[in-house]
Amino acid sequence: MKLLSAAIALTIGLAIVSLFIGASDVSLSTLLSGQDRAVQVLLASRIPRTLALMLAGSSMAIAGMIMQMLVRNRFVEPSTAGTVESASMGLLVATLVAPGMPVFGKMLVAALFALAGTALFLRILRQVKMRDVLIVPLIGIMFSGVISAITTFFAYRFDLLQSLLAWTTGDFSGVLRGRYELLWIGFVLTIFAYIAADRFTVAGMGRDFTVNLGVNYRRVVSLGLGIVSLGTAVVVVTVGMIPFLGLIVPNVVSIMFGDNMRKSVPWVAVMGASFVLLCDIVGRVIRQPYEIPIGVVVGVVGSGIFLYLLLRRRANVA
Amino acid sequence: MKTFGKSLAVALGAALLLAPAVSSAAEIVVKHAQGETTLPGVPSKVLVLDIPSLDTLDALGVDVAGVPGSNLPPYLSKYADEKYTKVGTLFEPDYEAVNAAGADLMIIGGRSAAKYPDLSGMLPTIDMTIDPAAYTDNVKANVVKLGEVFGKQAEATELTARLDAKLTALKGLAADAGTAMILVTTGGKVGAYGPASRVGWLHKEMGFKPVADDIDDRFHGGDVVSFEYILEANPDWIFVIDRDAAVGQVAEGQAAKQILDNELVAQTNAWKNGHVVYLDPASAYIVSSGYNAINTLVDQVSEAVSAAK
Repeated sequence: MKLLSAAIALTIGLAIVSLFIGASDVSLSTLLSGQDRAVQVLLASRIPRTLALMLAGSSMAIAGMIMQMLVRNRFVEPSTAGTVESASMGLLVATLVAPGMPVFGKMLVAALFALAGTALFLRILRQVKMRDVLIVPLIGIMFSGVISAITTFFAYRFDLLQSLLAWTTGDFSGVLRGRYELLWIGFVLTIFAYIAADRFTVAGMGRDFTVNLGVNYRRVVSLGLGIVSLGTAVVVVTVGMIPFLGLIVPNVVSIMFGDNMRKSVPWVAVMGASFVLLCDIVGRVIRQPYEIPIGVVVGVVGSGIFLYLLLRRRANVA
Repeated sequence: MKTFGKSLAVALGAALLLAPAVSSAAEIVVKHAQGETTLPGVPSKVLVLDIPSLDTLDALGVDVAGVPGSNLPPYLSKYADEKYTKVGTLFEPDYEAVNAAGADLMIIGGRSAAKYPDLSGMLPTIDMTIDPAAYTDNVKANVVKLGEVFGKQAEATELTARLDAKLTALKGLAADAGTAMILVTTGGKVGAYGPASRVGWLHKEMGFKPVADDIDDRFHGGDVVSFEYILEANPDWIFVIDRDAAVGQVAEGQAAKQILDNELVAQTNAWKNGHVVYLDPASAYIVSSGYNAINTLVDQVSEAVSAAK
């Protein structure tokens, strides 16, 4: 508990740093001297961006954790199981069919596609006999590849390749008051995840075990799928894709505290938030006042940590 | 006498030898971005993959046989008609269609320039790629060059003179118009375009002062900037390129306006004074260096700046 308080304090610290970084001059002195512009930038741009970072970071990390429980594999997350790719496909379809659709509508379409894609992935997994640790993510990556190939094909045919890239690269530079609020849905989903944490923990031990305990396995899986798909869709639609996050954070938490989800939900949420805050701060500082999209920063840092986890696991297995 | 006869014979012989060269005086040698191409005469069946060249040929009144099958700007939509062979996309030639067309000239440039080796092996090909370092001069030079190839020298002279006058007028207006920022919007995000970008000639050659000199122009979506950056840069003019509209994804101007209309951008001098110019998306993003396109852009900017005086 003490440790968790420290982690929360660290996140708050990063959030405060995030509030004071940007192209405009927002500092304690400009704020205290009552400069209208500093106050306005803080309210219109800095606070929304910082909140968006924390919300997106925690929802993606939670989505990753639930996914790993459902699939019973540590190397799966929304971007290696076709969820993110399916959401992007939904976004493309919505753009092609109804370009003028409001963002909320696009998000629902993306969420439906994400749901269908993830369900299909789970179905495919059920057919696989040999469930080696590395087979599952491998299937996930191939499945993601197939979906993104279809999406890319249609984007290519309709000259939307570069637009697709612009949507799917995670980037918080466009976040303003009034343009990120959908992410609060992710916050609500995190609370759901916390409430249902024990069920997910049980489901994570396998179908038979779950049924033996009298828990409705199908219902738990559906709930998990819903949280994962909706959470992913909200993030993809508002800020784009943040790769590896759902993989790294739950793994690190699991190494530190084991697999009791009730215990780990707050940790995953807090660490997801601080990891994203940190990466975005880095992206904003390197070339101030220009920005490096967070998708790029997380991609670089994340692939390094992913490799480390993979090699570490292999060493343990061997 | 004898020597005279001999030299006459030599002269006659030389004349005979030279005869084929004389009869091919109609040969046209075109110097272009990737070398020199010799055409036996004025080409009659022309394929074009380079949209700026199609745009310029349209202004010159030259008819073409083949055009790109995608990304035609609205004002060139007549070329979407079936009577024009579709010879590929802006980036990729459709080699089958090119081969079957039996044309005597292929014009490429910019996005399709990399296909020169393949195409020049199939038919005479010229690459009209623009050198961004001397943008408007290159646009004019290309008008003249295409005028020569198609025997439209008089038209070319007239067109370049008309453009020259407009450019000079705009230069006069730009000098004291204040700072200007070129923004590109795509997929809900905003980037800044600098002097090396598609319409960077507005800065470099027309003289609109940029808000910063370190904008990186290597990206389609511009250098990623936040709305705070725009607020701090506080430009007197904002020129907007709506990329989504340019590639036909949304209605013109809608998306860009939605993205930029927020409380931070609203505080810039440009927004407060109504000095936000939504450049014709197709002219600015897709065509850029074609004759009609550059005229459209110069007209748009000149009109806005002179109205503000």
